[in-house]
Amino acid sequence: MSLPINTRPLMVLRLATSATQEIGSTPQGTLTIFPVVGGSFEGDRLRGKVLAAGGDWVNTRADGTFTLDLRVTLETDDGSLIHMTFSGLRDDANHYFRTVPRFETAAPKYAFLNRLLAVGIGEIRSDGPVHVIEEVL
Amino acid sequence: MNTRLLMVMHVNVAPALNIGAVPYGSRRLAPVSGGTFEGPRLRGTILSGSSADWLLLRSDGVLELDLRCTLRTDDGALILMRSFGLRHGPPEVIAAIGRGETVDPSSYYFRTMPRFETAHPIYSFLNRMIAVASGDRRPEGPIYSIHEVL
Repeated sequence: MSLPINTRPLMVLRLATSATQEIGSTPQGTLTIFPVVGGSFEGDRLRGKVLAAGGDWVNTRADGTFTLDLRVTLETDDGSLIHMTFSGLRDDANHYFRTVPRFETAAPKYAFLNRLLAVGIGEIRSDGPVHVIEEVL
Repeated sequence: MNTRLLMVMHVNVAPALNIGAVPYGSRRLAPVSGGTFEGPRLRGTILSGSSADWLLLRSDGVLELDLRCTLRTDDGALILMRSFGLRHGPPEVIAAIGRGETVDPSSYYFRTMPRFETAHPIYSFLNRMIAVASGDRRPEGPIYSIHEVL
């Protein structure tokens, strides 16, 4: 007997990144930093823009897959700030790019974000990465 | 979001160690005394001694879970599983869980995000997977229905 998993859309996140910073080969793998310089997010319950001063720390592992470690600040259209992080996994050989975002905010209107887990499906498009993020119900 | 069942895991927990008030909230440590897991692609037992859940009760009433455990499959592979999770719900439901009662798992929110590490070739697919679990806190410990995010 197992319990089901249900999800519902939370937001589509579009990130604008600048030139990568190649840290190179480290004891953990090969580290590349993607600075986040902007972007947008949009969903039924929240929308706004991604502020500069964020980034995604992407590590290439020995098995050829990438692990992601993102942190950004979201600003909603009504002026609330939301700290967002995700870890993720990108496996190009299997066309698999999934993330697990988390949110922190002090804004009462968006406090529901503090209490949920989410899953994102990522895609690299010509104008930058896009993440379709769903709330785990 | 498409998912498929990876395994159902029964975790047995020993009495918690109450670490108390820390700067982030109230911290407890729940040692894992054993358990089992079973799914279409893997099954086995949870090792005690290297498995525990670091619980943090936040000021907003949400319980954060930070579980680390070592799994041993029935064919001898060792797998590290780590999962971050959240548990919260109506006060009367959370109080009933605290008293050791069995409550309907749909009456509260208990979800985790397991990640796996293994060196064993048969199970290397776990290294390349994001998973989501629904939890059901029973008196003897949680039961997790772990689903692969496809």
